[in-house]
Amino acid sequence: MSKNFPPERIRNFSIIAHIDHGKSTLADRFLEITGAVDTRKRQAQQLDSMDLERERGITIKAAAVSLTTMVHGEEYLLNLIDTPGHVDFAYEVEKSLQACEGALLLIDAAQGIQAQTVANASLAMEQDMTIIPVFNKVDLPHARPEEIEDELENTLVLERDLAIKCSAKTGLGVPEIIEAIVDRIPAPEGDPEAPLRALIFDAKYDEYRGIVVYLRIVDGTIRKGDMVHMLGADADYEAVELGKFTPVAVPHKQLSVGEVGYFISNIKRLEDVRVGDTMTVAKGERAAALTGYREPQPMVWCGIYPVSSGDFENLRAALNQLKLNDSSIIFEPESSDALGFGFRCGFLGLLHMEIVQERLERESGIDVVQTAPTVPYRMVMNDGEVKDIHSPGELPDPTQFQEIHEPIVTTHILVPATNIGVIMSMCSERRGKFLRQEHLSANRVMLTWDLPLAEIIFDFYDKLKSGTKGYGTMNFEEPRFEAAKLVKLRILVSGTEADALSVICHHSDTQRRGRAVLKVLRKEIPRHQFEVALQAAVGGKIVARESIRALSKNVTAKCYGGDISRKRKLLQKQKEGKKRMKNIGNVEVPQKAFLAVLSTDDS
Amino acid sequence: MSLREDGVSLYVHLPYCVRKCRYCDFNSHGYTSQDLAAHVEAILQEASLRAQDLAPQTVFFGGGTPTLLGAQHLARLLDGLEEITGFRQSAGEVTMEANPESLSAEVAAAILQGGVDRLSIGVQSLNNEVLAAYDRVHDAKEALAAYARARESGFRRINLDLIYAFPGQDPQQWVDTLHTVHELGPEHLSCYELSYEPGTSLTRLRDLGRWQEEDPERCAALFDLTREQNAAAGYHSYEVSAFAQPGEECRHNLAYWRSLDYVGLGAGAASWRQGVRSMNLAKPEDYERVMGEGRRPLAQQEETLPDMRVFDHLMMGLRLEREGVSVERMKRQCGSDAVDAILPRLHEFVARDLLRVWQDQEGQRFCTTARGLRMLDTLLQELLPDDDQLEV
Ligand SMILES: Nc1nc2c(ncn2[C@@H]2O[C@H](COP(=O)(O)OP(=O)(O)OP(=O)(O)O)[C@@H](O)[C@H]2O)c(=O)[nH]1
Ligand code: SF4
Ligand SMILES: [Mg+2]
Repeated sequence: MSKNFPPERIRNFSIIAHIDHGKSTLADRFLEITGAVDTRKRQAQQLDSMDLERERGITIKAAAVSLTTMVHGEEYLLNLIDTPGHVDFAYEVEKSLQACEGALLLIDAAQGIQAQTVANASLAMEQDMTIIPVFNKVDLPHARPEEIEDELENTLVLERDLAIKCSAKTGLGVPEIIEAIVDRIPAPEGDPEAPLRALIFDAKYDEYRGIVVYLRIVDGTIRKGDMVHMLGADADYEAVELGKFTPVAVPHKQLSVGEVGYFISNIKRLEDVRVGDTMTVAKGERAAALTGYREPQPMVWCGIYPVSSGDFENLRAALNQLKLNDSSIIFEPESSDALGFGFRCGFLGLLHMEIVQERLERESGIDVVQTAPTVPYRMVMNDGEVKDIHSPGELPDPTQFQEIHEPIVTTHILVPATNIGVIMSMCSERRGKFLRQEHLSANRVMLTWDLPLAEIIFDFYDKLKSGTKGYGTMNFEEPRFEAAKLVKLRILVSGTEADALSVICHHSDTQRRGRAVLKVLRKEIPRHQFEVALQAAVGGKIVARESIRALSKNVTAKCYGGDISRKRKLLQKQKEGKKRMKNIGNVEVPQKAFLAVLSTDDS
Repeated sequence: MSLREDGVSLYVHLPYCVRKCRYCDFNSHGYTSQDLAAHVEAILQEASLRAQDLAPQTVFFGGGTPTLLGAQHLARLLDGLEEITGFRQSAGEVTMEANPESLSAEVAAAILQGGVDRLSIGVQSLNNEVLAAYDRVHDAKEALAAYARARESGFRRINLDLIYAFPGQDPQQWVDTLHTVHELGPEHLSCYELSYEPGTSLTRLRDLGRWQEEDPERCAALFDLTREQNAAAGYHSYEVSAFAQPGEECRHNLAYWRSLDYVGLGAGAASWRQGVRSMNLAKPEDYERVMGEGRRPLAQQEETLPDMRVFDHLMMGLRLEREGVSVERMKRQCGSDAVDAILPRLHEFVARDLLRVWQDQEGQRFCTTARGLRMLDTLLQELLPDDDQLEV
């Protein structure tokens, strides 16, 4: 595939859906049908190339690939982007859509329309793009395509006749989808004669080749050897190598209007490549900047600290490198009494947070300690100044501010009609405000509530799943801030306040939260030679207490001639383990305890 | 008989058992009857290679289950070892571990004849349900019968091994067991808290949530109770888990705890000689194969630096709650510099009431206080040299 295609022979589209509805599997079928992948080297979910994606069986990062295929006797270039379905990675979907003219909206024919189906479809509609609804998994015995046609019309206002039925597993319906892509999705518009204008939609760091930049050409053409200019970063680079992913990288002499590919120039300066930036020519008339991407808004924040304090600068470098490949991470330096110097990092959700921590440790080899996540809060200070805080430790003294505002999100919960009762009471217990109830079909409803983000981001999803036998799904919109009666729950360990353990919570909830946190701490903190007192306090008032009894005996029962080396090594290992703990006063606290604050269960 | 500081002890490992007890992390394996004879020969071959004219001051046959070899193989082993090492003359104590089901009158007679003068019988519990839960081969009645047989055969020195802290164990039941045992009147008792070693079936069960580990508070209470009860019956504690009537301490084990030299023969056996630690291959078949090639079946060898020697000396010596460690002895074994370096740390522990210091004719000695003994592992952890110094 070394030739170039005129725009009318190009189609750019994303595959979007709720998690697990089969996007990556359908992408596999496309790769096969178009012969892009040697069938002998085939593996399931080809485009999930990260180890973490394969281990967890989910897509984390959008992946772009170029395919060629014959339709109506003509050869077409299809640029496909497989997107993640998990709500935490919705920003990836948003970015992908901006590089496309159309989207395949996959719907699991057994599960029907789910919360992320609605959310992702709305994203595509906002951008006015062509949507092709596809009912996947029709091979399943309990597939119910007719009912889903109702849901499609009722919920998304898409005509049922538009839907194509397929099975990404068996390949049924895949040729029809390809035809529909060519027939229904518009060819990219753009002026081949205009100066180069390309959207940088992704990037990754390559040890040997510098930063690999992913491009979608909007206007003009870029040729190997051209000097280009990054508008936002204000930097010039030469196109040392250009190419497309098929899915392996294949070098090309040029990329022109509508094409998607990569650009390599041995770029080492991380700050010169910004996802969402516009690339144009270095000399002559430059193109105007594209709209780019909106700044992602973090939903949760946590502290990430190197286990060994000497790793602080390495951690900064690792975060910068990771941010290149995941532009939704935000971080700023912070320090904590217990943990030393580290970073306060913002994420789009808990899974995102977990993935970032794991990628950090794997890709940089730095061991990190993570503090419990919190949602952001907004303070209105006495002098009227508005201040955003991202950790409970930053909460000023109550005498210094007028109000605390917390993030409220409009939440859509899709559940079987039989479960409405449970879910309604769950929402009202969590300080929710009911907005409306709509029927998707005879058996399924969508409930819409305004809920404090802090009440739903940690364990609501699990509770929703268990309250609906796994059938409930949810999605929430961008947060807005509203005043609430919130207080800081301080945690004291042997009388020392542990800033990394404190929580902001609703004033009516301090006792329950306090008890829950202390209960977990009691389990996670090992016994010491002295009794460890744990207290939860609001201001000076103790709302809960626990204690960890002193370790009264710690001696190996048996130690003879054959046990010496082993015993010594065991003691060494235990000592190592202690070094990994962090000290609060004279109490050694293991990493897991810092997540204790997440628990809300005091039973 | 007292132990000479320059003497050497001999340990012989017999790696076979009828089946694996749930808590067991010893080097023990299943066997067929053909294995036994060949294995005895392999051990004798190793003895010729490493223990010629050793003249050990103590000998200990451990396992596995030595008595499972039967009278004939055991006689061959003992005669062979006598020929090579001359232990019958030199040793002031020759102990063999025995399990009740295989300690027949015939076996007892054969080993007594062969030079064994002390038995250590694995009783573990006198409660049949507990024995069954541990997957032991015998029941309580068989254990008591084995003890009687040992006495009838003429063994004067006997140790019984017992385990406490079975989940939910009623302290009174443990006291009753101790009383029964005290009435039998063995010279020595080893009372171990049930421990959960990595890789054992017990640990797996616990991790699967199918076995509830006893609460640490209750374990600590049983630890104290055991010491009180034994002391009242005339068994003084001289080590964490070892109790003896006056003069009946196990000399072989004392040699370990005093960091004296020992040669270990057999699969997985450890040796400590002239500042070098070594360990044999653990699997009986590997051991026999390499032995068959006429080589020493060595699995690992560890050169010890002075810091580590001092640490090991303390790790073992502080288990001896009465005699503790002698600073002068330690200096002779590990060098003065390393000992001088650690003395201030030991004095810190004295200030924290974890150690006691006093003088005897040899000079300064350190031993644990009651609290120090209970917290020995914590104390040792603090004493560990930095890991880079420990790496070899
Ligand atoms: N029976 C059947 N199973 C399918 C079909 N398509 C996908 N699956 C299965 O559904 C599961 C999820 O498939 P993926 O392709 O990973 O789903 P995804 O939409 O890419 O998931 P995320 O990227 O994590 O959002 C896998 O176990 C697939 O084998 C289908 O047509 N029929
Ligand atoms: S008898 Fe002893 S060595 Fe054999 S399995 Fe039981 S505990 Fe282990
Ligand atoms: Mg996927």
